[in-house]
Amino acid sequence: MAPAATDAPESYEETHVHDVYDAIASHFSSTRYKPWPIIAAFLANLQDGWVGLDSGTGNGKYLPLPLDRPGRQWTIGLDRSRNLLEIARTCWRSGRAARSRVGRRSRPRLATRSFRVIMCARTGLRNLNSYDPPSSDTRKTKTRSPALVGRRLSRTRTRADICVGDAPGRAFKAKHPHELERDGQDVFVPWVLAEDSTQVFNRYYHMFDDGELAALVSVAAEELGLVIGPAAAEGSLKGVEIVQGGWERSNHFVELRRWQT
Amino acid sequence: MVRLITHNLLACHVKGCTSNNFPLEFKDVQVVLRESEFNPDFLRGFIPKLEWPALVGAARELGDTSLPDQLPEMLDDDFLKALHHVLLEIHVEEGIMICPNCKHNYPVSNGIPNMLLAEHEIG
Repeated sequence: MAPAATDAPESYEETHVHDVYDAIASHFSSTRYKPWPIIAAFLANLQDGWVGLDSGTGNGKYLPLPLDRPGRQWTIGLDRSRNLLEIARTCWRSGRAARSRVGRRSRPRLATRSFRVIMCARTGLRNLNSYDPPSSDTRKTKTRSPALVGRRLSRTRTRADICVGDAPGRAFKAKHPHELERDGQDVFVPWVLAEDSTQVFNRYYHMFDDGELAALVSVAAEELGLVIGPAAAEGSLKGVEIVQGGWERSNHFVELRRWQT
Repeated sequence: MVRLITHNLLACHVKGCTSNNFPLEFKDVQVVLRESEFNPDFLRGFIPKLEWPALVGAARELGDTSLPDQLPEMLDDDFLKALHHVLLEIHVEEGIMICPNCKHNYPVSNGIPNMLLAEHEIG
């Protein structure tokens, strides 16, 4: 069961996010072997020579993509879970990929300027939102989130695809009837190990509402002084365009493109 | 995998450590060489993104002196092959990467760099 929400946020997150993923890494990985079509299409449309950052890479299934052009893009996988990274390392050794272990708020700075970075932060925002215990002030939770998006969007030629978990009440809920609902969007999803069904891990999960992800992106863009919308025809402006967004297969996603005139 | 292509991107991110925090210095490293497919187009595209002096310095720290101090204007096959080896075939499996400024240690274990910081070190 969940500990009291008065626990320190750090230990709460350690117990209900990081420790859970490390414990279930092998089983979790075996259920996530198929690239999500939207991310695969996003990567397939990037030109050769782009550098990718897969923040929350998990078992690293996106690192070798696009499969028809091996070695033409180079993607770095970041994750908080050591055990998932060990799996990523073993599975994709042949791919041109690197993995490093980072925390949500302790990501390494990328030192090189003039970098074109793509991102598919599939879990970053969810993890970020999981920082505060569910019953705490949700405004506080939300104001933390733009930092992640902001840092990722700070490079001029970045293209990003961000995917996050769904709001309850749709496909996800049907698949997990036993979720322990706490504060609307903040839930525990039980994870039962295949090899030992007596072991159940309650994985904390923030489910996004319609429009919530786009709103976070807008806040992040404003904090960075970026115009939101298509590239301006003239003037020396910096901005970010939301190329597409939506909901598919229990995930919200948004694709972004930075621009500068 | 800590290869020099990755190392060339990593800077210290401890709170307040914002200058002279790159490149990280290697200590007590175990290196393994693994062949990988030579892809000159990838290299040509990647060269403008490299911090050249940092790469040359890191390669020399690991005992590879094949790269010139200055990036040559002529990118011939011999040069590209040397660059390919340095960037993509030298794997640091174990060791420590140390920030030249604040001396923070980032351990590398089983080829995975641990860039995690403690709560009080995060900016």
